[in-house]
Amino acid sequence: MIEAFNPVVLFDLLILVLLIICVISIARTRDLVRAAILFSVYSLTLCLLWVHRGAPDVAMTEAAVGAGVTVALFLVVIARVGRRER
Amino acid sequence: MKRRAYKLLVVALGLALLGGLLWLPPPGQPGGPVHEHVAARYVEGGTEAAGAPNLTTAVLLNYRGLDTFGEVTVIFAALLAALAVLGVGAAARNASGTGKPRVDARLPASPVVNFIIRLMAPFMATFAAFVMIQGDVLPGGGFQGGVVLGAMMILLSVAIGPDRVSGMVAPAPLGWLRAIAPLVFLVVAVSGLALSGAWFGLSDQPALGHALMVVLELAIGMGGAAVITGIYLSLAREVE
Repeated sequence: MIEAFNPVVLFDLLILVLLIICVISIARTRDLVRAAILFSVYSLTLCLLWVHRGAPDVAMTEAAVGAGVTVALFLVVIARVGRRER
Repeated sequence: MKRRAYKLLVVALGLALLGGLLWLPPPGQPGGPVHEHVAARYVEGGTEAAGAPNLTTAVLLNYRGLDTFGEVTVIFAALLAALAVLGVGAAARNASGTGKPRVDARLPASPVVNFIIRLMAPFMATFAAFVMIQGDVLPGGGFQGGVVLGAMMILLSVAIGPDRVSGMVAPAPLGWLRAIAPLVFLVVAVSGLALSGAWFGLSDQPALGHALMVVLELAIGMGGAAVITGIYLSLAREVE
């Protein structure tokens, strides 16, 4: 458990806590637009973790697909089905 | 009662997974099992053997080229199936003359957004092409570049309207463009089999390997961008 005080590991732990907060907020909100934007935040945070873990290829995919295109598609669908979860 | 049972199940599963983490080897150790076996050989001689300084691309397009062929086929089949399902409704409405851009009418983009998108689009397209072509040297590649290009097309259709974006490519070449990634992979794989006796065998020729990689990356990128744009457009042009 000494390892947890290593700054490199500490940064990872911070990001993981942020990810968990994001995921719980996504699951709890009833506003679909807010959920989509929170999903974008989640992807960008995860992208930081990939960069920090030395996987820039995965980080680029995460930023482009997760934070960009997926959220755009979500928003178009939300524009059709209505903003509130029933 | 039922809720409590679900909560208990989730907590039990979570504890089991966390317990499983204790058995994993510690991350970031140079002597860990991940860094031995084949990975050590890839890191040692991968750049010379596969002809790509970016080892991720070397593994994706050369060492595991056949697996990537399967992956590309599955992904594009799924995307094209989604596109076909979305297209059936849109085609029926277009035939009856009621197909109008809906998102465009509901969300008029502000002049600021319009100007920024028009200003940035050429740079985004250049960056996408750069990511695709330099995929074997720098991080990135066909998938990433294609998604950036698709995102640029989505932004453009916000600025200038879905109709003008969908008019950029004629319908007949568009069908081929959407299927280009699996087709090019097939051609490269089979020509390798015919000319050198192994799937993707041509990638091992130093002179050809680099060019083939760029061709494969470009095919994935252009195909991916076409399919993503198509899915967005068919969603955006739907009417109630």
